[in-house]
Amino acid sequence: MLTALFNKDRPLGDVPKSVVGLLLVTLVLQLFWHSHQGAEVARAEDLPAPMSVDTYKVMSLNESIATSKLMNLWLQAFDNQPGVSLSFHRLDYGRITQWLETIMQLDNRGHYPMLVAARVYGSVTDKKRQRIMLDYIFRKFNEAPNQHWRWLAHAAVVARHNLNDMELALKYAQALREKATASNVPYWAKDMEFILLEDMGEIEAAKVLVGALIESGEVSDPYEMNFLVEKIKELEDKSTK
Amino acid sequence: MLNQVLTISKFTIIESMRNRLLWLSFLMMVIGFVVVEFVGELAITEHLATQVSVLAVFLRLSAVLLIALFVVSSSLRELQDKTLEMILAMSVRRSSYYLGKLAGYILLAVIVGAAYGLLLMVYAPLQQVLIWIVSLVLELVLVVALALVMLFTFKQTPAALTGVFIVYLASRVMASFYLMSQHPIIAYDSISQKFIDGFVAAMTWVLPDLNRYTQTEWLVYGTGEWQQLWPILMQTMIYLGLLSSVALFDFYRKNF
Repeated sequence: MLTALFNKDRPLGDVPKSVVGLLLVTLVLQLFWHSHQGAEVARAEDLPAPMSVDTYKVMSLNESIATSKLMNLWLQAFDNQPGVSLSFHRLDYGRITQWLETIMQLDNRGHYPMLVAARVYGSVTDKKRQRIMLDYIFRKFNEAPNQHWRWLAHAAVVARHNLNDMELALKYAQALREKATASNVPYWAKDMEFILLEDMGEIEAAKVLVGALIESGEVSDPYEMNFLVEKIKELEDKSTK
Repeated sequence: MLNQVLTISKFTIIESMRNRLLWLSFLMMVIGFVVVEFVGELAITEHLATQVSVLAVFLRLSAVLLIALFVVSSSLRELQDKTLEMILAMSVRRSSYYLGKLAGYILLAVIVGAAYGLLLMVYAPLQQVLIWIVSLVLELVLVVALALVMLFTFKQTPAALTGVFIVYLASRVMASFYLMSQHPIIAYDSISQKFIDGFVAAMTWVLPDLNRYTQTEWLVYGTGEWQQLWPILMQTMIYLGLLSSVALFDFYRKNF
């Protein structure tokens, strides 16, 4: 097949020397031109505000689900722009919640935005930013308690151990007990208050949460499972240092 | 007449093989596979859902693009090489030529749709992929018919392809435009606004709602049902009839 492709053409010798010469000259010119251009400098860009959901729908020819999945990856990688690595502390968390909201509206059955809110953006050491993410999770939980209960359970643990705000943690636990009433919500989530009141350490509480999540079958994605296991390892490493 | 139609469609398929359309389709599948494997590595969770949605959109658009390009370029070459004149000089009806071309291209659409579906089977449930394939083929049938209309009308590749893509894109987004015009953030009562709203509403009447075809949601959330294909099949049949009559109307009036 390949021989047939190449044999169809006339021999290379039939190409006029002027054409070959012009090809070489222009190639050298291009390389020369490029070498005299200023080097590209990486600049950190601020996260822009998202456009309306309808705009994204039209721009993607109504492929809302694929758009939301690609937006997840784009937003997740925003701290790592070409040539620049931004710390999460430099990102505008108000903007991030706007983006997460847009992504959720494009595909309200996905849970990717909730995962990154809870475990990526919500795991920074800046308490003010953590609170923004916890507020966002609580807001989404109130919209669909039986869909988002596991993220609020995680938020309760973060409020207790990272923010040391027992009142906030109990508020979340109480909301779980009162609103997450579907049969798929396990008892441990409804009894979250006990986990908090038992005064467990952060790692123990996180292990109980993750272990219970895996047991309940809520986490079936192997990539998410690896991610959760890695997060626990991180916590363990931090505590031994 | 049937023999003429079959002969023309047979040669249309032979030409597609010579033009390496299937190789090109295979190349798109390889690119799609590499892209979604890369995308899958980036995702923390929902990695299969992310892969399926990206792959489905990529395959759908590349199938539309490939088929439209092939139909327009190969038919226009026949027109410009005077092959069409030679065929019409024999006792071949113009309708037989059109139907033969249409049948050949539709068969190609079936082959491309099925090949793309095979790749999706790696990532999504079989039944959902089968529903998706049938819907994609029906969508491609409309693209084929639309491309034939445009090439008979414009007889130039850039103009014909632009026409195909404008109508295709409008068919995909007109339903969204209509919803947006019905529920504006700030309501204006001007004559120009009313005219635009009326125009958008009119377009939803004359364009097929491709928004309902080949939905990514079926593959990601398993929501596809065989019954959903009935309205899609009906819409395809009706619009295929409409496009074919437009094409034949134009074709019979043309002087070669």
